Amino acid sequence: MIHRNLLMYRGARYLWWSLGLIVSSCVLYFTQGDAQPPNGGTWQGYVLGTIGALLIAWLTMLGIRKRSYSSTLGTVQGWTSAHVYLGSTLVVIATLHSGVQVGWNLHTLTYVLMWVVILSGFFGLYTYMSYPQRIAKNREGGARAELFAELFELDRDARSVASRCAPDIAIAVDSAIERTTLGGGIYAQLFSRDDSYFIRGEGKPIRNPDQQALIDFVGSRLPRAAKGAEAANLQQLIVLLCRRQAVLRRIRRDIRLYGWLRIWLYFHVPVTIALLVALVLHIISTFFYW
Amino acid sequence: MDALLRELREGPDGIPEYYDTEITSKELTIGSASDRNIQLLGRGIAAEHAVIVRAGGQLTLECRRGELVLLNGKKRATARLKLGDVIELGGHRLRIAPPPPGFDVAIELQANELVDASAFEGAFRTDLSQTWLGKRTMAWTGVALVMLFGLLLPMLVMKLHHAGKQTPSWLLGDEFWSTGPLHQVHQQAIGERCETCHQKLFQRVQDSACEQCHRTTHDHIMPARLALTELGPTPRCATCHREHNVPQTFLVNRSDGQCVDCHGDPEDGFGQIKLDRVLGFGLARHPEFKPHLLASTTVRVGSGFGYEWKTVVAELDKAKERSNLKFSHQQHMDPDRVLRRGDSQPMNCADCHRLEADGEHFTPIRMQDQCSQCHELTFDPASPDRQLPHGKPREVVLTLQDYFTRKFSDPNMGRVAPRERRRIPGQQREEENCTGAPFDCAMRAARKEIETQFTRRGCVGCHGVIDTRSANIIDRFQVIPIRFVRDYFPANRFDHRSHQIQGKLTGDEACLSCHAAKKSQDSADLMIPGIAKCTECHADKAAAERVTVQCVSCHDYHPREPGLLQTMSSSISTWLDGPETKTRPGGELAGS
Repeated sequence: MIHRNLLMYRGARYLWWSLGLIVSSCVLYFTQGDAQPPNGGTWQGYVLGTIGALLIAWLTMLGIRKRSYSSTLGTVQGWTSAHVYLGSTLVVIATLHSGVQVGWNLHTLTYVLMWVVILSGFFGLYTYMSYPQRIAKNREGGARAELFAELFELDRDARSVASRCAPDIAIAVDSAIERTTLGGGIYAQLFSRDDSYFIRGEGKPIRNPDQQALIDFVGSRLPRAAKGAEAANLQQLIVLLCRRQAVLRRIRRDIRLYGWLRIWLYFHVPVTIALLVALVLHIISTFFYW
Repeated sequence: MDALLRELREGPDGIPEYYDTEITSKELTIGSASDRNIQLLGRGIAAEHAVIVRAGGQLTLECRRGELVLLNGKKRATARLKLGDVIELGGHRLRIAPPPPGFDVAIELQANELVDASAFEGAFRTDLSQTWLGKRTMAWTGVALVMLFGLLLPMLVMKLHHAGKQTPSWLLGDEFWSTGPLHQVHQQAIGERCETCHQKLFQRVQDSACEQCHRTTHDHIMPARLALTELGPTPRCATCHREHNVPQTFLVNRSDGQCVDCHGDPEDGFGQIKLDRVLGFGLARHPEFKPHLLASTTVRVGSGFGYEWKTVVAELDKAKERSNLKFSHQQHMDPDRVLRRGDSQPMNCADCHRLEADGEHFTPIRMQDQCSQCHELTFDPASPDRQLPHGKPREVVLTLQDYFTRKFSDPNMGRVAPRERRRIPGQQREEENCTGAPFDCAMRAARKEIETQFTRRGCVGCHGVIDTRSANIIDRFQVIPIRFVRDYFPANRFDHRSHQIQGKLTGDEACLSCHAAKKSQDSADLMIPGIAKCTECHADKAAAERVTVQCVSCHDYHPREPGLLQTMSSSISTWLDGPETKTRPGGELAGS
């Protein structure tokens, strides 16, 4: 289990490092006394700020280290374990550095960006701990391409069987297959929004979420089926459509889980870059207007 | 437009079949997405690949940016369509056919049967990387926004402000660099004009910026005295005055650290100035208090003599009050000996010592304010309303001479006014026996009363009187003037008001807990408590049953008066007797 190894790497060595860092930062913070409000302007504040800035710089290096396949500077697993624990420490260090003095300024912006990065990191950690199993369980060991291949076959079979049924059934099945949505935009991927339609007779397209409307429509024709062959075709069609419904559900779920597994990186990485710029400006501006 | 889409397919028995679909839409959309009018799957087909529009009877094909189709075998991004044209994309063929009645367009679609499952998956957007989300885009956007608001706008506004230009208040400028709110008064005066204090980039706020407004604040050490040391310049204002803090009311770093940095080691750099070592507030950490006292000396003034008052700084254990007053606190506070006039209650401290509005000082003790209520200056029981003038010895002499002259020359009063005092047996009152001229009798009686007032009862009760033995009665007696110390620690603060209640002690008990007045029989007793008394309740560090005090609780960093130290070391001269006084200095102390 990769996540267990990540957090328990070498007996959670970096957990103890982090706790040590947190305790020493708190001790340093409380030596500020009450002569003036504690913040980044005292010598303790400068020390805490320097530690925080160095930590941010080092944490960013994970992005470089994990791409350096030839590097022998520790294992990527060890780096990631330290990244998680020391990154969490930053919440305490930066808060102590700020003395919880916030305002509408560059310094608080830097602090907020840091929170966005860390919270998105926590979310990423959570998804990396729980989603891979859920994805594997949903795919039943296969790959996504296999699910699509199955769907493709089912589509072809369904069209073929539908073409032997009444014209309105054929049109309904054809249109339903053509107008089946999978994935799509960010919201549609993350929340499995289903904008599928099918066309029944002359009328307007009918909403067909989860393909249930189509199955109901085909099913409703079954009792009125005239000849034996028509009934058999409809029967076969319904079986195919139901299998298709199950495969579509599984693909949608796969897209959703996969989306949630990856969405945090779209915030964690770009906001880190913005944070680095804000951090540099935060430090420079402090001395601009000393 | 109304379009007819005819799909050619091979039926189950190998016979081609037509599937017609009617499309009513403004334009015909082509692509792999499921919401396209004509959905085509396969490699090279984008979700939204192309559209066919009809304008003025003319059909036009327009591909999306970056996409192409084969029109009659040639790659095209846009094209005018005519009947018979064949559009190919992803192996699918679309032929523009003559529209049947009722339709504007007819398109025959021959689908590519070889489209496989992998191409099929590409028809859907199943990964976040296919959405508008992009790490690079977001990173660049973030960096651009941070640079804009964190650097470019502040720099721009700063430059404009330095050039003396106004910027609209909604424009977020260099105040975005502010680390916190200004003190409210500074906020009101300065607002968002950062350059008022931050005049140069990378330069700390200079004292000159503060002094633009704070012109009357005195520096900690006068330049003349600073020159006697090797200390270098005094610290910047901002060393103690920290701005941009929360809470907004915070402006002064009150910690002892800055003070002790210099005063903890008075050997280092103070040069000719000798100071005591101060490490904080505590018995071994702070020197004993040194009260400032007044001392008078007799000096020759012209042909006469006067008194010169000097402020002397004394060691507390050796210090003596030298006010020249004869007074016993013990006697006045003893109810067996003194009761208040009027309500006959024992005297309270506050009967004489009245706290001023500043809560620190007391109104000066004066004869007419505090003493005269009980101590009247009557001299003749026969005229209880007549009182001698206070503070003017010459007037006293003249008043008595006038009084007796009138008395002895008044025909209606009889020769002698009856005296109520019992006569000593065997002695006769001079007034009764005087048989000379009324003026001589009056002068004799006046002289007698003058001698009594100055040497036995009257002035001499409270004042020291020097009998010069001068033949001229006007010049004979010299009253030694009285002067009280106004402030024993003129450079420091002590809030008497906040000490009027000390735990369960209130009223006189609170006063007497520090000032041992009930035991003082002599006005020379200095009843100023030492540091040991203060440390019973106060300490420089937070501790149980201790109230914390910092250096600045009692001491001013900025002198209230710039020349206070000079004033202290120089003398205060007051000439109490006019230069017309003709008496010689010397003589003996009367009544002693």
